[in-house]
Amino acid sequence: MNITSNNFISLAKIALADEDQRASVDLGTTNAFDKRILAMGEFGEAHAEALRARGARAKRRALSRLPDLLEQAESKLAENGVRVLWALDGQEASQHVLDIIARHEVKRVVKSKSMVSEEIGLNGVLEGAGVEVVETDLGEFIVQLGHEPPSHIVAPVIHKSKESIRDLFVERLDMPPTDSAEEMTEFARRYLREKFLQADMGITGGNFIIAETGTLCLVTNEGNGRMVTSLPDVHVAVVGIEKIVETVEDYALLTQTLPRSATGQTMAVYTHLYNGPRCEGESDGPRHLYVILVDNGRSAIYQGAYAEALACIRCGACINACPVYRLTGGHAYGWVYPGPIGSVITPLLNGIESAKPLPHASSLCGVCKAVCPVDIDLPRMLLDLRADLDERGEVDFQWRLGLKLWAIVSAAPWLFRAGGRLARLFTGDNPPQRLPAPLSGWTRYRAFPPFAKQSFHQQWVSRRGRES
Amino acid sequence: MTTSRERILSNLRAARQPFAGIDPEGSPLPVVPQDDTSPGALLGRFLASAEKLACQLYQPPSPQQALDVVAGLLGEGPALAWDVNHIPLPGLEEVLKPRMLRPGQPQSDAQIGITGADAALAATGSLVLVSGSGRPRAASLLPPVHVAVLERARIVPDLESWFALQRQAGLDRWRAASHAIVISGPSRTADIAMTLIMGMHGPAELHIVIV
Repeated sequence: MNITSNNFISLAKIALADEDQRASVDLGTTNAFDKRILAMGEFGEAHAEALRARGARAKRRALSRLPDLLEQAESKLAENGVRVLWALDGQEASQHVLDIIARHEVKRVVKSKSMVSEEIGLNGVLEGAGVEVVETDLGEFIVQLGHEPPSHIVAPVIHKSKESIRDLFVERLDMPPTDSAEEMTEFARRYLREKFLQADMGITGGNFIIAETGTLCLVTNEGNGRMVTSLPDVHVAVVGIEKIVETVEDYALLTQTLPRSATGQTMAVYTHLYNGPRCEGESDGPRHLYVILVDNGRSAIYQGAYAEALACIRCGACINACPVYRLTGGHAYGWVYPGPIGSVITPLLNGIESAKPLPHASSLCGVCKAVCPVDIDLPRMLLDLRADLDERGEVDFQWRLGLKLWAIVSAAPWLFRAGGRLARLFTGDNPPQRLPAPLSGWTRYRAFPPFAKQSFHQQWVSRRGRES
Repeated sequence: MTTSRERILSNLRAARQPFAGIDPEGSPLPVVPQDDTSPGALLGRFLASAEKLACQLYQPPSPQQALDVVAGLLGEGPALAWDVNHIPLPGLEEVLKPRMLRPGQPQSDAQIGITGADAALAATGSLVLVSGSGRPRAASLLPPVHVAVLERARIVPDLESWFALQRQAGLDRWRAASHAIVISGPSRTADIAMTLIMGMHGPAELHIVIV
């Protein structure tokens, strides 16, 4: 997928002007945010915090032993007849899929939602090789139809109104026009049912892999994930190497805090566990099960100061909570992962030079950390990424100069006082509505406040004089 | 030539191990705290949780009445079902036989799916179905209506305690099954304008008959 993260500012401006999209994103994120609060807090704030702390430790403990656990998972999966493949990058992962397609003479592929597959641009590769690939999660189906990327990792069409989805179905699939979400859903259901029945391979992602048992785990709501893994003969799971958890106990905790954080459900409708291909005597389920473990930049993150980002379980809670995402939606972030977690892992996975605005796409309000089910310190990492940008000289000349001046002025009390006096003198009781360039950006959306008649320091001195 | 596997693992091993020294948790912390795990309390909690998920629940007082409930739900069929040996309802075979899919008829014609359940989770109102011979996955997936016959004694407190039972019996024993699915209510989507719709790809109705 093309990376347009460096265009964040202009993409955000376009998004801000789109009233329909803003209403849709606002509805979706607010709804998910409110439901998350009820679900995580169902048994009180202290219990919710304890669950977050447990989840945080479970993922970090797994990361601390990641290479060992990957080997353990690999041998357990292999014992159960699962073929495990490793991919250093997206190209290698896609090639593995193409090889599997050739080996099993696959013509039609149905897919369940997978962010890693978006990350590596798998659909494009398969279509280029002449294979039909159909996304079957309703939201993913809609964005595939509209040739656009998902704008949210849990709710891919959070940016789309019912009307725009209707128009897409009418235009692309000759759906009889309707304003009913039920009828649109029913139309998509029938269309996709045929695809499930014809497919010879299913592709999924993976939410977790349990190392001690070699179990591939998914969560889905619609049932498409079950279709994709029950009907075709071949099931390929494309999974990031950071998805490993150590024990079934860790898994049981995380597979419940994930839906509570994501959509406010106590459990996803379908919580899938795969130990291997179908056994002797079974009438359905895949005969061949492949797990592709994808690195694609993760082992590099693992070695650095941002290893914590690999604890993410992709619930989207930080995205729903983020005041920036709530206004801009996901496409402005210019790649697969939007919101606070996207602002951290997009620069890490693609190189910070390709996503320079993202670490700044945050007010550092901290809500992303507060809602994270595994307590990832996103604000800390956003700040550190800003420092990295500065170290590389990637900070705007204006900003650099402004901050340098500020540093000089605030380190010299006489200069600071003189500056304050000067400002009060020039602004008086009627401060200017707009500041001149280069400060004009500051007053474009806000009024310039009048300076206080006395500085804080002067007030302090005079009040102390009065009290004593 | 080093393989990608070796390169990934050696990259990871080259790191100064992040988060070293986090010990496994001592006591478990269930996601849903439950004081009373007596059979009566578990049943009550299961009913309440499953109802919240829009499941339809039945507690027929006798096996004959349970059979009547299932027969009523079956209608004219055609049905896709687990082998009756895996469904805890004596006499089901006679009721099912005339309503099963004809040989050669596509599974997707089935209007109703009948299964048992390996366990139920009181905390979340979920059913656990383990795959195996005579227990097709399609029965709880393809038809628009799914009827699960659940033995009361199979209700456990939560997912944590279900895994504890598997650990007790030996995780290798559990691993021998290719697949398990935890079902929490009917299939649903809210992708179009946050409108909740049941029966996206899986069943729109989930009936649980407790025996």
